[in-house]
Amino acid sequence: MSTYTFKGKKSFAGEVLDSLATFYRKRWLLKYFVQRQITRSYKRSYLGLAWTILSPLIWVFFLTIIFSEVIGIRFRVVQSDPTLNFGLFLYCGLLPFMAFSEALNKGLNSIRSNSGLVQKVVFPVELLPFTNAVASLIDKLFGVGALLFIVFVLEHRLHWQVLLLPLIMVVQLLFILGLTYMMAVIGTYVPDMGEVMRPFIRGTFFITPILWPPERLPENLRWIEDYNPLSYLVEAYRGMILEGTLPGGLATLYFSLFSVALFVVGFALFIRLKHGFADQL
Amino acid sequence: MTAAVSLRGVSKRYRISPGRSSRLSEVLSFGKVKRSHEFWALQDVNLDVEPGTTLGIIGRNGAGKSTLLSIISGVLQPTTGEVEVKGRLTAIFGLGAGFNPLFTGRENAMLSGLILGIEHDEMLERFDAIEEFAELGEFMDQPIKTYSSGMRSRLGFAVAINVQPDVLVLDEALSAGDSAFKRKAIQRMYDLRESGTTVLFVSHSMGMVTRFCTDAVLLNKGRILTSGSPEEVADRYQEMVAKSQEKEGARTSERDAQLDYEIEHEEEEDTPTTSGAPATGRTTNTRWVVGGAEILGLELLDEVGQPVDKLSSGGRLTVRVRLRYDEAMEESILGITLRSEGAGLEVFSTDTTLEGDPLGRKDAGEHPTVDFTFAVPLGSGTYNVDASLTQPHTDGSDVARTQDAASFEITEEGAISPVRGLVQLPTEVEIHGLEGLQEGPGRPA
Repeated sequence: MSTYTFKGKKSFAGEVLDSLATFYRKRWLLKYFVQRQITRSYKRSYLGLAWTILSPLIWVFFLTIIFSEVIGIRFRVVQSDPTLNFGLFLYCGLLPFMAFSEALNKGLNSIRSNSGLVQKVVFPVELLPFTNAVASLIDKLFGVGALLFIVFVLEHRLHWQVLLLPLIMVVQLLFILGLTYMMAVIGTYVPDMGEVMRPFIRGTFFITPILWPPERLPENLRWIEDYNPLSYLVEAYRGMILEGTLPGGLATLYFSLFSVALFVVGFALFIRLKHGFADQL
Repeated sequence: MTAAVSLRGVSKRYRISPGRSSRLSEVLSFGKVKRSHEFWALQDVNLDVEPGTTLGIIGRNGAGKSTLLSIISGVLQPTTGEVEVKGRLTAIFGLGAGFNPLFTGRENAMLSGLILGIEHDEMLERFDAIEEFAELGEFMDQPIKTYSSGMRSRLGFAVAINVQPDVLVLDEALSAGDSAFKRKAIQRMYDLRESGTTVLFVSHSMGMVTRFCTDAVLLNKGRILTSGSPEEVADRYQEMVAKSQEKEGARTSERDAQLDYEIEHEEEEDTPTTSGAPATGRTTNTRWVVGGAEILGLELLDEVGQPVDKLSSGGRLTVRVRLRYDEAMEESILGITLRSEGAGLEVFSTDTTLEGDPLGRKDAGEHPTVDFTFAVPLGSGTYNVDASLTQPHTDGSDVARTQDAASFEITEEGAISPVRGLVQLPTEVEIHGLEGLQEGPGRPA
């Protein structure tokens, strides 16, 4: 039995704490929502969930063909390690980027596309961007699994550093969550900004060392890599999955602090403005 | 006893801007430029609803009914004022909110329940009851894209109504499903009411409000105009509607149109859905149809029993109604109504009891035919004929009725002299001598 009251303004901190508690109280709802988001795209297909593994394999296959065999020869020269297939290299960098861009793009629409929930029922809207972020990250986790499988088949061994990847992913989740909450607010209050943000999100692909190896950056453009949190993630993924190296301690610290700050700001912004959502739709 | 729902000085403001670009200039100037005007959907509403009350909320479209329900259920935040709700509230205007067509009925029911704020364990407990109530059979495990719209709303309704709320908020939601399901839903509502659930209920059906509610409030332009017993409030409403119809004469100002647009979600909810209407196919849901019998057909015949659609004024008309009873009924009343299409008025109505020919007891499966024969001394124009079947000693809701079932035209051909006005009343003229004073109308006005 619950009793609720709207008495003017609640204290802001109290509201943030309330919202955090909501995640625990609504864990079942959250579970169904994430499940739904992940399985939705595969629901119509005959193979169903097998696609979560199959589609990364197809990705790697095509990336390998195109970049290693068609235009990839140039890159092989750059990469000193001959066993390292550039398709894998590329796909490994794509994983954190796709988790990032999918969550943000969905986040922009997360309130508007669920207007039924926002306007018709008392629904904890803070679950919606969370669902987007978690679902896209879990989806990429299947990608990581597929990648590890391929690496194991090709090299007959895996690097132990992979075991630490989940730690990075937790921080990555905070990073994505903070941005996704911001996108949700922007996309709801200023729909036009959504159209502006999309090219920006896509643009981050080119300023992140995914297609090009970071060594290629001229010295005066190094800052692009240094100040880009995505390039930290890309490098960390590659290091831990393909090369067996750990990301630098200081860089990890900076990234963690940045992600936590981003999450706090994004979440607080969202909570502050969420009461106006129903009126905006 | 403390109130189950209490509102103190609740107001809700909407901004209405003339266009998108003006809203942009407002946003960009951080509110320094004001192009929009304010519109108060609710103004200073004070309301206390005692536990166990069934409160009917009536008012015209745009009066703020849905806004009020949204605020009580916590979906919208009031601009000013306080809302207090004690206990679990379930709102049934978000029927099927969050349903996904690709997932099965079972998955969607679970999700829908969780969205409505029911705990996972409790949902598992209540699942059998929900499944039984929704009557979906094996469709329960099919994706709901294969459902008819009636099945979909049945599922949504079954979830919402089987969770034992303390406060139930309904927005004209009972039009889901066929008549048998509807009866069951109403029964369930009575059960809930008996068990002490407070029900808040928006309706345009005065019959439903006077029958079902213990209290009522009338909203107009965002304010509570009157509150009290359902009968009083319903009378006041009808008075208000009649008055404004007189005044209005189809004039809608531009601003009204704008308001209608801005609060269109309210409009939508006020429109009764016709999905899953009973099988007569012509019924509408603006009034209650409980079912149990069907009007199979309505025919218009002339003096020799031939179907007719044109008559001269003063001719005799037979309205033949064919009925079929699906359930035994001790007594029922068949009524017919003549409506002038041009004037939009009810010209004449009568029923079997009024005419002194009660239908008597009818068993399930009986299909009687009833003829009404009368003269039509009417002015030229088109007239619609409808029939409705009711049971005495109930709230006045219909067992069955038709909507625009048949029409006929009165022509001037063959008439001795055309009728001026709507109807020819039998008239005598007497002229009194002394000062040549003329009394009595020469012709009906």
